[in-house]
Amino acid sequence: MQKINLKNIYGSRYYYTFLLFCLVGQLAFAQTQVKGVVTDENGMALPGVNILEKGTSNGVYTDFDGNYVITVKDNATLVFSYLGFVTQETAVSGRVSINVTLVESLESLDEVVVIGYGSQLKEDLSGSVSTIDTEALNNLPQVSVDQLMQGRASGVSITQNSGQPGSAVSVRIRGVNTISGSAEPLYIIDGVPISGDSNNISTSGRSIADNDLGQGDGATGVSPLAALNPSDIESINILKDASATAIYGSRGANGVVIITTKSGKNKKGTLRYNTYLAIQRPTNFYEVMDLSQYARLQNEMAEIYGLNPQIEFLNPSLLGPGTNWQQEIFDDAVMQSHEVSFSGGNEDVNYFLSAGYLDQDGTVIGSGFDRINVRANVGANITDKIKVGANLTASRTNDKLTLNNATNGIIYLSLLNNPATAVYNPDGSFAGPDLDDDFKFENPIARALSLSNRLERNRFFGNIFAELKLGKNLTYRTEFGGDFGNNVSDRFQPTFSYGEITGGESALSVRRENNDFWILKNILTFQKKFNNKHDVTVMLGQEAQESKWQGVIASDGEFVSNDVPILGTGNAIDNTDQYKGSTALSSYFGRAIYSFDNKYNITASIRADGSSKFAEGNKWGYFPSVSASWRLSNENFMDDFDAIQNIKIYGGYGEVGNQAIPNFAYGARLNTVSTGLGTGFEFANFANEDLKWESSTQTNLGLDFSVFDSRLNATVEVYNKVSKDFLYQLAVTDFITGGNSPGAIAAPWVNLGEMVNKGIDVTLNYKTKGSQDFSWNSSLTFSHYKNEVKELLGDLTIFGEMTMNTSNQNVTITQVGQPIGLFYGYKVEGIFRTLDDINGAPVQFGRPFEDALFSTTWLGDIKFKDINGDGVVNTDDRTVIGNPHPDFTFGFQNSFNYKNFDLSIFMQGSYGNDVFNAVNRSLTAGNQTYTNQLPSVLDYWSVDNPNASNPRLARNDTPNINISDRYIEDGSYLRIQNVTLGYTLPSDATSTFGINRLRVYGMIQNLYTFTKYSGYDPEIGVYNQNALLMGVDNGRYPTPRIFTLGLNVEF
Amino acid sequence: MNNMNNLFKTKLIVILAVVLCMPSCSDDFLDRPPEDSYNVAEFYETTEQVNVATNALYVRPWYNFVTNVSWCIGELSSGNGRTWDPRNADFVNFAITGEHGTLTQAWESLYAVVAQANAVINTLPDAAGPSVPQDVVDNAVGEARFIRASAYFYLVRIFGPIPIIADNNEYVLEPVVPRNPESDVYEFIKRDLQFAVDNCYEKIRGANYDANAKVSSGSAKAMLAKVYLYEQNYPMAYQLASEVINSGEFKLYGGDAEDGDPTGSYYDLFLTANDNNPESIFALQWTNTGIYAEGNGVQSLFAPAGVTGFSDGWSAIGPSIDLQEAYEDTEQDLRYYATIMAPGAFYPDLNGGYTVSETIDHQGCNVGVKKYVIGSAASNGGGASQSYPNNTYVLRYGELLLIHAEAALNGGGSVAEGINSFNKIRRRAGLDEIANPTLEDVFQERRIELAFEMEFWYDVVRQGPDFALNFLSNTERGTFNDDTSPPTINSETFPASMDDLLFPYPSNEIQNNPALLEAPVPYEFE
Repeated sequence: MQKINLKNIYGSRYYYTFLLFCLVGQLAFAQTQVKGVVTDENGMALPGVNILEKGTSNGVYTDFDGNYVITVKDNATLVFSYLGFVTQETAVSGRVSINVTLVESLESLDEVVVIGYGSQLKEDLSGSVSTIDTEALNNLPQVSVDQLMQGRASGVSITQNSGQPGSAVSVRIRGVNTISGSAEPLYIIDGVPISGDSNNISTSGRSIADNDLGQGDGATGVSPLAALNPSDIESINILKDASATAIYGSRGANGVVIITTKSGKNKKGTLRYNTYLAIQRPTNFYEVMDLSQYARLQNEMAEIYGLNPQIEFLNPSLLGPGTNWQQEIFDDAVMQSHEVSFSGGNEDVNYFLSAGYLDQDGTVIGSGFDRINVRANVGANITDKIKVGANLTASRTNDKLTLNNATNGIIYLSLLNNPATAVYNPDGSFAGPDLDDDFKFENPIARALSLSNRLERNRFFGNIFAELKLGKNLTYRTEFGGDFGNNVSDRFQPTFSYGEITGGESALSVRRENNDFWILKNILTFQKKFNNKHDVTVMLGQEAQESKWQGVIASDGEFVSNDVPILGTGNAIDNTDQYKGSTALSSYFGRAIYSFDNKYNITASIRADGSSKFAEGNKWGYFPSVSASWRLSNENFMDDFDAIQNIKIYGGYGEVGNQAIPNFAYGARLNTVSTGLGTGFEFANFANEDLKWESSTQTNLGLDFSVFDSRLNATVEVYNKVSKDFLYQLAVTDFITGGNSPGAIAAPWVNLGEMVNKGIDVTLNYKTKGSQDFSWNSSLTFSHYKNEVKELLGDLTIFGEMTMNTSNQNVTITQVGQPIGLFYGYKVEGIFRTLDDINGAPVQFGRPFEDALFSTTWLGDIKFKDINGDGVVNTDDRTVIGNPHPDFTFGFQNSFNYKNFDLSIFMQGSYGNDVFNAVNRSLTAGNQTYTNQLPSVLDYWSVDNPNASNPRLARNDTPNINISDRYIEDGSYLRIQNVTLGYTLPSDATSTFGINRLRVYGMIQNLYTFTKYSGYDPEIGVYNQNALLMGVDNGRYPTPRIFTLGLNVEF
Repeated sequence: MNNMNNLFKTKLIVILAVVLCMPSCSDDFLDRPPEDSYNVAEFYETTEQVNVATNALYVRPWYNFVTNVSWCIGELSSGNGRTWDPRNADFVNFAITGEHGTLTQAWESLYAVVAQANAVINTLPDAAGPSVPQDVVDNAVGEARFIRASAYFYLVRIFGPIPIIADNNEYVLEPVVPRNPESDVYEFIKRDLQFAVDNCYEKIRGANYDANAKVSSGSAKAMLAKVYLYEQNYPMAYQLASEVINSGEFKLYGGDAEDGDPTGSYYDLFLTANDNNPESIFALQWTNTGIYAEGNGVQSLFAPAGVTGFSDGWSAIGPSIDLQEAYEDTEQDLRYYATIMAPGAFYPDLNGGYTVSETIDHQGCNVGVKKYVIGSAASNGGGASQSYPNNTYVLRYGELLLIHAEAALNGGGSVAEGINSFNKIRRRAGLDEIANPTLEDVFQERRIELAFEMEFWYDVVRQGPDFALNFLSNTERGTFNDDTSPPTINSETFPASMDDLLFPYPSNEIQNNPALLEAPVPYEFE
């Protein structure tokens, strides 16, 4: 089924024609007329099948219903060939009627690989390109394609930053290459580049989602790829090494993902309908204290803080379980999808039209996502020299957002909230804390349900192209692509009253944003084969692209009622804020590919990019690459060597750039603010006129081979990637910038240093041959990388800072000679349990050993290690306490087919990475009143409980909660990501209803995770796509388990 | 077919022309200056632009300090207030560490003020257009230097030795910056203020309050007097305070003093409508947009629930028993009503009439805070949760009179004049004059006059460690036990040590700049 349009140009036709000529030479005698029908395995007629009398030029095509009539010699052999199917030969042997069933060719699917600005036979490929088997992705209940790629390609590490529907994922191709905001790859969807960065660092600088959901900086990133319906995808090719990505020059540093959408097939029109219904269910809960445990803790805390005891807690054992907030915020959620597609075509015109609807509720109350999308892909040959086409898609997505991954996020609130508070009052209104609670948590249910934060994204993108044959070997292609988006974001906080927390005034904030992107490409391609051995392809191109954005944010409040919040109708002061800007890129590029006799291939390319991101003199960057391959198995001396097939050795070197930084980062800007004195101006940023391109060079060596009669294919690649002058917004100290304060001056963007990623990627593929009843197809990917920072403006140390429980904490350290973003903090030696432990122990943080509740160290406190041996424990004793980088990641896909049943199992995982469990830190702090905790906190140290697992309860200032290895956990996991069982009804049973194919399937996504991690989900991702905050779990929205029932129908 | 070929050629030429045209356009194409903000290099061309250059220095960078920290230091640590909030309680019991997020905000916020002021100071003189008169530029730089001095004044009083940054661009890629001794910080502050004295406009504060908003040469003199007081240079403090008094620029709002403005009162000082009254020497100029950090967030922390109209009003601090007992007479002293909400008290102007609950009990103190509590957005011309339009005083004429008195009593000048200034404050408060006040009387008067204006901590500490440690360790920070009638006191005091008189640098900054742990290095003045 899978077939690539461009194949027409390079691959199969050539091959079949070639075949034809080679087979000339048979003689025959009597003539006879043979007729019949050609169908595929499903019994569907195949129009346009080429039927040749072997050894002659005598040939016909099947008609629309697959019928053919040909007059041949009696002893002729008929050759049935059809694009995408295995060519079949049948001897006539005197028969007059021959019906043929063609088998789809599996091998041919992989033959052509889309590379930048062209395609190439896989066997000739000299760069590193992973192709994702899109067949395996069909019907997965995933919203966007970035999520789908998880574990499917070696060297590509994908983690979901949040389980919230439609949320952003982080994709890392061959390690972390840059520590500037976005290390996300470039996506090329039908030739239109789309950034994977949800924070829009390089354009408006504003995250797509309105993240002003409250204070704090939680992760609210939504996926920029959510507009694309994954079912429309024909192929995904990931360019991993620089020799492959260099042709994308400036934007290729983080790798390139080329996505091609489906096109019509050269056969009878088909109508497909796919649908599924899924139930999403949270996988696990934290076990937090119930009411009686909580009451015991409160009684203790009240003593520590000198509070008057709460009468209702006098006898905790009499209390019931109280409110289980987690159960209140998590719920089963329904997800459904419907999509219809029409495709078809003939020799000259093909089309693919589709429409889809997806509706996903979130498992966390108040969150959700839906999408409507339509697509039209059309291609036509106007003459035999002019070919035109268009790939267009329009979509509307709606996100219902909640704040997560922050201490004041819904999930955090549910964990820390007081089980003594009810969710609802008897009258049905939301309940809240009592007057006595001086430390109040909001009712998370109320917060989730009353605060409405909706984001509607309308997006239209695609391209239109024309291809002219200027001669026998010369093709000119011009292409115009665009990506036009309009975001509508409305946030409304109605008046509310939850217990003692009241909000008398309502507030509305709306945001309207337009993004226009266009790209114009002109490409000349020359291709010629000399003497049947020298194959030359030369491509020259030019490209210009511009991105523009503008938006308006307006707010109002104090509405008469909560029913119709509309700007201008509230009593509050109306505020407006406008932003706009643009960036541009102008590029020239060329590539030459030379291959000799299907044995040797050499490719060289160069690209020049001019970017508006840099000052005059630094605008242009040049990005060359060269690569070569040798198909060992095509050598004559290998003819007798059958044990290993298809051996290819290849390698390359290339350079790519990165310019994903805000506009005008080289100059200084003034922000406009309101003051009581009228309009005021603040310095927005520090300038850096010397800012220049970040570059990344990569060396790649690869080996492809097959064994067992080509049933097992293996690819092994090693690489060494050096990122130089990487761009980073460097804040060395807060006393220079003002840190997180309003009015702080943003740190300058600098070319910070150098980083190396070395690694190995392995892909193994196994499939059973032929068309027996049983077939098995399996694919194993394995990736390992090692990251090392080589230089940071000399040898600067950079800390990854994050706000946790209202305090800024340095969680990670990045320094020369080590991987980026290592967890950083104190080492714990244990608990001071006896006076003997204290005697002679180093003084900790200048707090004397004294039996007091604060400003001292005493029995029951955590004993931190004196790392530098200077006799005291202080900030100098922080050290590396964990590594968020995995030793390796892997994916294992298995598909089984038995007669009409198909079963697939996909497993995926990560090994050897650490996670910083910030949630556990809050849940075991044992230092605050009115805050729920894990039950283990009750096993606190006291004179009566000297062997306790947890330190003593303490006041807020306790160093027991300092960032330490107490919170580092092994994040390794193996996840059964997907199990699908399908059944296709026999075609004779369905064809009576005019149905060609009918398949039903059941699927479980995220079935089970084997892990030692104590949090919700070991798959943490990168906090807000910030490379310095990898593997930090700060109340991440957990990925749900999804049960799906689906149906595929084809007419 | 021929036609077709011709068509081809025509098209080809057109397309090639387009291709060839692109490079010629690309110079402009790749030039993308900011479209939604000013390029610094192109601003300051007009007098108008230079005049507004300092506006932002009066507002946003101060937000985190004023809203979140200044009252924790000024009132909680000093013992004027108390709290049960586990985080803020660390200020009450001297358990603040460098990890404390609230304290970090003081560091960041005040250095943000320094950074913005430095940007103006270092950019304006060269960037101002030729049409801008020199005195306009000098006045703006003077304002910026005044504000920079004010920020450093807080920094040195809170943290002690700190890095003096005069040009942020020099250190933007240099994490290791030595700290400078306190004496150098004071010298730096005085030079800034002297520049402002010499270059800012002279003003007379009149009935057009808007015209009073920005600082003047006289404001700088007043601030300089306060700095000299901290340096115990009493003659200079006295002289400058006298000059300010004699200039007639400022007036005491309310009371019967000859340099008073009888239209106002102590209570009226804190109403939004009276922002920039003639008593205001330097006040932060919050706006009514309600946008976070553009307005004043103090009442969010001080007010009882329900007063603001939003979900803030967290009553995060209660006036300590110690402070309540420090009032000579809660009836006679008009400042009590203006500072503290007593049960049953009625405020006719607050939200159109507000009666304090009989059970008001902020943090176990059986009273609440009134000062800086101004009520709903509707009654103050705008604002929103944590962002209200009322000014925050940094220095007002009432304090200057007490500076005058203190300097005089310390031998800086005419004792009689000093006592006169002192008694103007007493009279406005409705209290009897003290014929021969002592320094203790001035200290007490400052405590009451400036209560909940985030000042008391510095007044305690500058008395010297002997006094301060004794005072802080014996301040009653306990709660009322309402289970008895009348309520008894659950007494709480917390011992302070020498280390507690300065606050620790944020731990993250010590990591970023290890030089903060090394001995201060003398600052090189130009």
